[in-house]
Amino acid sequence: MIEILSATALATVQDLGRAGALRWGVGSSGAMDPLALAAGNLLLGNDEGAAAVEVPVFPFQVRFAADCAFAVTGADCAARLDHMPLPPWWACEARAGQVLQLGVPQQGGAWRASRAYLCLAGGVDVPEVLGSRSTQLRGAFGGLEGRALRRGDSLCAAAAGAGLRATGFGLVPPALALPLQADGVPAVRVLPAAEYGHYTEASRAAFWSQPWKITPQSDRYGYRLAGIPLEATDDIEMRSHGIVPGVIQVPPSGQPIVQMCDAQPSGGYPKIGTVIEADRWRLGQAPIGSSIRFVETSWDEAIAALDRNRQWLDEARRLVELHRGSRAN
Amino acid sequence: MNMDHVQQLSRWLEATDIDLLELQGPGEQLSLRHNGKRVEVVSHDIAGDGPAPAVVTAASVGLFLHRHPLRAEPLAAPGAAVRAGQVVGLLRIGALLLPVTAPHDGIVVSVLEQDGAVVGYGTPLVEFQVPGGQA
Repeated sequence: MIEILSATALATVQDLGRAGALRWGVGSSGAMDPLALAAGNLLLGNDEGAAAVEVPVFPFQVRFAADCAFAVTGADCAARLDHMPLPPWWACEARAGQVLQLGVPQQGGAWRASRAYLCLAGGVDVPEVLGSRSTQLRGAFGGLEGRALRRGDSLCAAAAGAGLRATGFGLVPPALALPLQADGVPAVRVLPAAEYGHYTEASRAAFWSQPWKITPQSDRYGYRLAGIPLEATDDIEMRSHGIVPGVIQVPPSGQPIVQMCDAQPSGGYPKIGTVIEADRWRLGQAPIGSSIRFVETSWDEAIAALDRNRQWLDEARRLVELHRGSRAN
Repeated sequence: MNMDHVQQLSRWLEATDIDLLELQGPGEQLSLRHNGKRVEVVSHDIAGDGPAPAVVTAASVGLFLHRHPLRAEPLAAPGAAVRAGQVVGLLRIGALLLPVTAPHDGIVVSVLEQDGAVVGYGTPLVEFQVPGGQA
């Protein structure tokens, strides 16, 4: 069991999301960096989709009330267990009473990221709602009482102690094995969407060629971007229709909004593109104030990119299982 | 490990093309050399209460890293004070990172292999100064 010591809000329990609930008007929620969540879980021998704590605001502190194996992945936040520094993307074991501190993410390193994941042996044990343990903030269900974590909250590990003695190793983050940049700026791949053709040629060119700044009005619901405004060739009036995370809407201001994990399931703004599922983790980790580029892609490339993510996870799992197996003998 | 086990291992080794067999267990170490004709016991140490080793060796084959791939600064530069169990280097095997850990509280004296060097099992990696002991 862990006790939250930090007063900073916005940390939530997340798994890989509530798939299949959009038809009831329930958004997906889930980890903003699903690769980091899956990697943290496989370091512990958990199911890849076990629930973990997503931490977007630092410093963040928890106290272990009982011995428990854990892993920290995502942003490199100079984790410390009591006074012992831990490498990033690392599995470890805590003894009862020890305090884990996650500091402000290091921005000088090889990967700028903004969210850390604290995975526990067996996963965070909260009830499943509509097939997921993810916190659905808008609907106030899932996770811990449907809300962000507060100081004094306690969370249980589903299999505390199960991973003990099979820890003390880590993974090279997938950001280094799967880099994606355009002119030195972190990039995400985008499929043109239904209303793409309604923007001027200059705006379409600018959409692909200019860096888009992630404004402070960006969170789990959506990222509001700033750049040269996109201009439509005609008035696009649309009724509300279903949208999914990754959709890039253009409100009348011409400044795009990328829908993220807590996006509402419908909207009426025109859609200029969609960030492919395989690259949403890149955007989910991009810090406020940083810039990103959109790179045009195709359906086939989007599927191939998902396959490459899958291959990275499969290879990481194979190596981790080999290592855990050698330690068990 | 008793002498029967050593003799059994020696017989097995004689039947192979392997030149050297090293076995390390808790508090015990055995080296057998096969010179083509017969097998000799090179060393057979049963650890006593002597000082902990001041040099940490590679526990696996891998690429020895001074720094975590995400970071610019080394995990433990010479002169750094480290605690027992602290990660002072890494062995990389594909995406897997294994720790090179300090055996006890002390000071890092020197890092014995280049950053990125391919190392084998048992390669000396990091030398420590143990307070009150010998480097």
